[in-house]
This record gives sequence, structure tokens and C-alpha cells, in this order.
Amino acid sequence: MTDGPFLRMEDVLKEFPGVVANDEVDLAVGRGEIHGLLGENGAGKSTLMKILYGLYAPDGGEIRLDGRRLDLDSPQDAIERGIGMVHQHFMLIPRLTVAENVVLGEREPSALFRAESEDSWLPESFRENRVVSGLARRFSLGLDVPEQRIADLAEEYGFDIDVGASIWQLNVGQQQRVEILKALYRDVDLLILDEPTAVLTPNEAERLFDTLERLAERGLSIVFITHKLKEVKAITDRVTVLREGENVGTVDTSSVSRADLARMMVGREVLFQIDKDPAEIGDPVLRAENLRAEDERGIEALSGVDLTVRSGEIVGIAGVSGNGQSELAEALVGLRELTDGRVAIADADLTGASPRRFIDEGVSFVPEDRLEYGCAEDLSVMYNATMKDFRDDRFGGGYFLDYDELETYAETLVEEFDVRGVRDTTEMLAGDLSGGNLQKLILARELYRDPRLLVANQPTRGVDVGAIEFLRETILDQREAGTGVVLISEDLDEIFDLSDRILVIYEGEIAYETTPTEADRKRVGLEMTGGEGTDGEPTADSADQAVADGRGDS
Amino acid sequence: MNVEIDLTAREDVPRWLSYGTPVFTILMALAVSAVALVALDVNPIAAYSTMFLETASDELGLRQTLVKSVPLVLTGLAVYVPLRAGLWNIGAEGQLYAGAIAGTWVGLNVGAPSYVLIPLALAAAGVAGGVWAGVPGWLRARWNVNEIITTLLLTFVAIELANYMVRGPMQGGQGNFPVSALLPTAALLPDLFGTGVHAGFVVGLLAVAATYVIVTRTRVGFEVTFVGSNPAAATQAGMSTVKVYLLVFLLGGAMAGFAGVNEIAGVQGRLRPEFSPGYGFTAIPIALLGRNGAFQVLLAALFFALLFVGGSSMEVVYGVPAALIDVIQALIILFLITAEFIKSYRVDVTIEREPNDRPAGTVGEV
Repeated sequence: MTDGPFLRMEDVLKEFPGVVANDEVDLAVGRGEIHGLLGENGAGKSTLMKILYGLYAPDGGEIRLDGRRLDLDSPQDAIERGIGMVHQHFMLIPRLTVAENVVLGEREPSALFRAESEDSWLPESFRENRVVSGLARRFSLGLDVPEQRIADLAEEYGFDIDVGASIWQLNVGQQQRVEILKALYRDVDLLILDEPTAVLTPNEAERLFDTLERLAERGLSIVFITHKLKEVKAITDRVTVLREGENVGTVDTSSVSRADLARMMVGREVLFQIDKDPAEIGDPVLRAENLRAEDERGIEALSGVDLTVRSGEIVGIAGVSGNGQSELAEALVGLRELTDGRVAIADADLTGASPRRFIDEGVSFVPEDRLEYGCAEDLSVMYNATMKDFRDDRFGGGYFLDYDELETYAETLVEEFDVRGVRDTTEMLAGDLSGGNLQKLILARELYRDPRLLVANQPTRGVDVGAIEFLRETILDQREAGTGVVLISEDLDEIFDLSDRILVIYEGEIAYETTPTEADRKRVGLEMTGGEGTDGEPTADSADQAVADGRGDS
Repeated sequence: MNVEIDLTAREDVPRWLSYGTPVFTILMALAVSAVALVALDVNPIAAYSTMFLETASDELGLRQTLVKSVPLVLTGLAVYVPLRAGLWNIGAEGQLYAGAIAGTWVGLNVGAPSYVLIPLALAAAGVAGGVWAGVPGWLRARWNVNEIITTLLLTFVAIELANYMVRGPMQGGQGNFPVSALLPTAALLPDLFGTGVHAGFVVGLLAVAATYVIVTRTRVGFEVTFVGSNPAAATQAGMSTVKVYLLVFLLGGAMAGFAGVNEIAGVQGRLRPEFSPGYGFTAIPIALLGRNGAFQVLLAALFFALLFVGGSSMEVVYGVPAALIDVIQALIILFLITAEFIKSYRVDVTIEREPNDRPAGTVGEV
């Protein structure tokens, strides 16, 4: 940070038909700086970084790297100039090894054909022949030298990765480290990370932050795109906030609070602490006993879960993802076959019943993956808003369906739940809504029918601050209307803020039960990772830090 | 000179592009086929005007076109309906044969007046076609067996079954010709008001109307559309993909079955082996051209019927092999695939004279 800005973007302009994605944005990043790029979904963060990485051509403005003007035509140019990017969705080939993925596009010919190679039995004149070396470059692969270099790099930065392992054998956190290795292997000076923690568990996110700090210490500049304020506070030196394509300001992270950042980002005050009235808890709406189920690979994912939820109660299920949450959610709405156990909704025993029966008994579901299970992206908002209620008699009796009525219903949902960016519900495709607005639409669809039970799996993941606030308040309102809620989340703050009871799930079992008032966050964090195990410490720390962050700033 | 082709993913598809695709596709196919015509020393404009304008303005040509369009629109719907639910029915040809066999059998073996016999034969054909498609539909719904393979292979079974029938159980008429007996007059489809177009045309129109209503106005149609777009979300919403998959194949197969019996009772008069020139296969480009709706399927079927009839007259007038029609058909499929690509990517072509020069300008942009 001492020798002036390493990267300087000035007045960068990018227009798409009908929208200005970047309206004369400035951004300056120093050497060795971790620079946060903060903004709501659709604020123009990704567009700006895609320009920097050569994926989009800017319509105006200037970019200088290390004093030299950058004119990028492709990511290839960007990499040559020392800019690397780790995308939100990894660009890895599962069947290839770590080393093979890292050298993709940068590979060396096999040792046999290398001109300077010592142990090749081929005559040197043959190897130096232009045709031969050209063919060898294209059709042979030497991994010995790169493998060593990759292993050295991995060790240097403390990555525990076996360079010979195939990508599919690695977990998400490791795959992300491979993506970072790809960039380091290409000697980048500037690394862009696009919402890198979206796919990580809290533990893995901690490790990523350690890595990034180590990289920054060695002089690498890092741009960290996020919409999570906690991360900005935890890792960045300075932060630039974008709102609706415009630069709202760049500030030193240490000089602002989370509330300040949220205000810059959303343009108004944001409440972090939600006021919650004590629940009026009624009769059980869900009784699940001894639930057992298997995951897609046929391995037991739920090992005997008991869960009772009463009307007007929010039960939070905390846990690190992959401990049976998805299977539990699916089992509770009839989507996953049980190998053992019983599920009852109100007085009806629905063990083994179809998803349709669950819906008819008043069960609503917000699935973890909006696009995969929550909506049909290629269909209009109208279809998506009515995908559960179209059977209702108000949309016409018998076989026929009153499409005008469906449209009116969809318009009501859009209006009452503040889904933005929809002009015509029959024209606008669900896939064209931003993440937050799509999630609002899904929640609207699930709640407007006044369900007995709502099963919400990660309802606010990948959604911007303004929408999170709205979604959480909506869930609380529904609780007051007497709906029982199962809230599955990896976000401890969310669990603590909303729940009346907290359960911790670990390896398919409920490991711990508490309430937000009695709870010890450290204990909850520990239980999430299996108690006293060696993995426990970092999570306990992060839980601690979460307490400090959450209470300290808001 | 340096040619640079730049692909950019489209954020959204312009409206004119998505609705204009069928038209552009046909025009492109005709333009490329014109090269073959020129190579044969035929003026493409004259040839196309014979093919389309003269055929469409001539009474005989028009009548033949309408007759040809009946099996095409029905099999087209047989592909279109499953396509709405995201499935490929490649075997409309087989379902057509199944319908033809069943319909002919009823026509030959049931003694009843016309107004009973014809609906009965249609019903039998619909059931047979439905069963022929229903089996792949059930296998797909229940066991996830690829429907492209099962429908296609069952086609050959149906064609061979017809071959066997006219040589064995249903062989009729004089001598040992592999044909069935002639249908009794009561089983033959009447002429529509003396136009020379048989009543099967009405069946086709009714099928189009019924498909339109089912797809756009009913609950089942809502489910079909939803399952076709995202089966996982549909399941989550309590829709049964098994039910939808089975239903679209039963419905589609029944339409193809109608096509089979209409062709026998309206045109051929008796079951012959290999009586269909591949209507059920032509149905695939028809359904693809008309994928936006049932009425578009009707238009596409009429276009292909015109192509077939006009192609024959072009053959007579200019001595151009009728195989050119197959070329046009194949090109339409190829250009449809290309159109899908152009819908998802913007293509910019830049030509630079010297490597260091400024671009000489964007030459083409799609």
C-alpha cells in the first residue's frame, strides 16, 4: 500500500440494454491490499470485475495496472497482465487431477521431448526440430515439473492438497484452493474473488481468510467481492461500496461500523436486531419421530431425528452444511423417502405420503437451491407464483384453469411481498429476477397460503441485506399468525435472532438443544463440529467472533 | 487478413428473434438449397415459384396439400405434446402404424353403419397409438429409461408388425399380394363437401384445437408446461412427473394413431406395408418449427405438405430429384439447431486487414 495504487480504474462505464451496470465507477487498490467490493445483488460488482478480467469490454473509462494502461480483450490477456479471478462457480474439470487442472492451458511438453531435458533418450537434434517440438507441445503432457511447482506453492501457502488427487475427490473448500492455486501458478499480482465464501462452511471461510492474509503479506493485491458485512469487517483493509452501478464511496474498514456499511449499501438504515415478541405457542403442527433417510449415494444421512414443532414456534436447526439438513428438510415435506420413522402434520400421519399430500395438509417449503427446486427459471413469474396453488378452486373448477385469475393472484403476491423488477407477471421470467427478489417471490408463494408448517432451508443465503431483513421479518410475521417454522441455516446470527428453540444437527443426529436466551454461542459452535474434536477450536473462535461482531456493531 | 469471431453470451433473447426463428430457418434452408438448384442448372426462383406459388394456387395442388397435411399435423402434435413436457417422441411413425393396423382391423371386422364404424375405428387407432407411445412413456416415468431410444426402436417393431399383418392374419384381396382387404365403404372417410379432401382433415383441426385448449387452458396443461421446464421444482410443488410423462405420451401416441387410420381410411383404402413415406419422422422438424404452440404446428405441417406436393411438381417440370425435399428438410433441422445457438450467443465477426490495423469494421453481427 506504500507505493500508490497498484490498480486504478477510473470512470468505468458499462451499459447493457436498458441498464447502466457501472456508471463511471472509480476503484483504486494498493499493492498487498485486501480490498472489499461491497454491494447488493445487481449493484454492479460482478460487472466491474468482469471488465477488469477481460470478460466484458467497458463502454468508457480507463484502467491502469502498475501505471500501465490496460486494454483487455479476453481473460487470457488479463492473466498475461497478472490478473487472476476465482469465480463463484468453479471452473474445474472433475475427472482431472489437481495438477492437470492447474496447468490447463499452460502445460509443458512431456520430459521426453523437452529440449533442455537430461534424461530423454531422444537425440537432441530431433527434440529441437520445430515440427517435433510443436507437435510435442500440443500432444504431450509433462506433469513432473509443474507438479513439483504446484506442490511447492501449495506448501508455501499452507494448502493441504494432494496434487495428484482428482477434483471430484475434494471438498468445496479444497476445490476453491485449487482455483487459487491456478491463479498463483500463473504468477498473478492481483486476485479477484467473486463471493468466495458463498459455498464455504464457516470453518472453511476462516481458512480462506488466513490464506488471503498470507497472500496479501507477500504483496498480492486482492479484490474480494461480497455482500456480507461481517466478512468485510473480518478480512478487508479498505472497502468500496457500489449501489445501483455507482460508487458510493471507499472507506478504511477499521473506521466504519457494520451499520455504516449497510447504510451505504442499501441507502437507508438497516435493522440488525429484529424485535421479536414472545411466541404464543400452540399445538404441535409437526411431529417427526426417529427419522432415518439416505442421501443420493445411498449413505445414511439422517440417523434417527426426533423433531416436534408447535404452532407459532420457530425451531432453528444449526449445523455445518452436509450434516443431513437437506435430507431433513426434504423428509419433512415428503420429498425424500424415509428408511425408518414417522412424520405427522397436525393430526394426519403422512409417513410415506406424496409431496402433494404434504402441501394439502398445509406444509410450505423454501428449498435450499432456488433455481434447482424453487422455481422454473424459463417460465414466467405467473407460473412460478402459482405453482402450488393452481389447484385451488378459486382458479376455476374442474379441469379448466382461469389464467386471468392466476395473473391477478401473481400480481397480488408481487405487490404484497415487494418483489421488485416485475412489470408484467406473464412476461417476466423467474430466472431474470435477482436472487433476493426471486427468494421474496418464493417466500410469498409459500406463505400467502397461510401454511400450518413452513420448512425453510437457508432462506436468506446469497441474498442481499435489504432482502434478508424483509425475508426475516416476513417469517416472524407468519409465526405470529400461528405457523410453525423449521428454520435451517448455517448463519448462527440468523438462528439466534429468529428461533424460539435451537437444535444443532451433526452427522444426521440432533446433537444439542437450547434456546436463544440460554444459549452459549461457543457451545453451539462446538456442537456443530462434533463437540470436543480437534476441528472444534476454529469454529468456537468464529462463533466467538460472531458474538463480538454481531453485538459490538449493531 | 485476420478474421476474428467473437461470441458473447446473450443476457436476454430479443423478441423478434424468438418468434422469427421458424421463418428465418425456412428461408435459410431454401436459400442454401438454391445452391443445389443452381448446380442442376435450374433457376431457383422459378423452381420455388413452381413449388410454392403454383401448387398453392392450383386446385389439385391445394387439395393434395391439404390431404398430405392431415398425417403431418397429427404426427406433428404427437411430437409436440411430449416436447411441451420436455420429452422427445421420435417414434410417431411407429404409433402411426400401430393406429393404422388397429383401425384397419376394426374397419374390416366390425359390421356397423358409418357413423358408428368410423368413430370406433378412430378410437381403436387412438388406443393403439397411445399404447405404443405409452410403453416408452411409462418406462421413462417409472424407470427413467431414455424415451428417445425406446420410441425410435418401437417404430421398427410397428413397421414390421404391419408387414407381418398384411402377409399373415390380415392378408386379403386377390392373390398373395401383401395387402389387406379393401375397407368396406362404411369404414371409408367421406369427402368434405365434394372438395376431394377427406374428413380426416377435420380430425386434424379438432386435434389442434384440443391440444391448444389442453396446453393453455387446463390444470393438466399447467402441469405439463411446468414439468417441461423444471421437473424437480414440479415434484416439489406436488405435481406428479410420472402422471405427466405418461399422459403426454398417451395423448401424443393417440394423435399419431389417428394419423395412421386417417391415412388408411381416407387415402389408401386398405392397409399396405410401408404406406407412410415417413410422416412420423417429418413430424420432428414440424414440432420443432411449431414448438411455440399448437397452431404453429398446424402451420408448419401445412408448409411441409406444400413442400412435398410442390416438390413432386418441381420434379416433373424441372427434372429435379425429389430428394431435394429431403435436403431442405435436413437443412431446416440444422438451421433450427443453429438458431438455438444464435439465441444464446451474439456473434460478432471482425475482419482486420493488417494485424496491427484498427478493425476495418464489424462485418456481420447476428
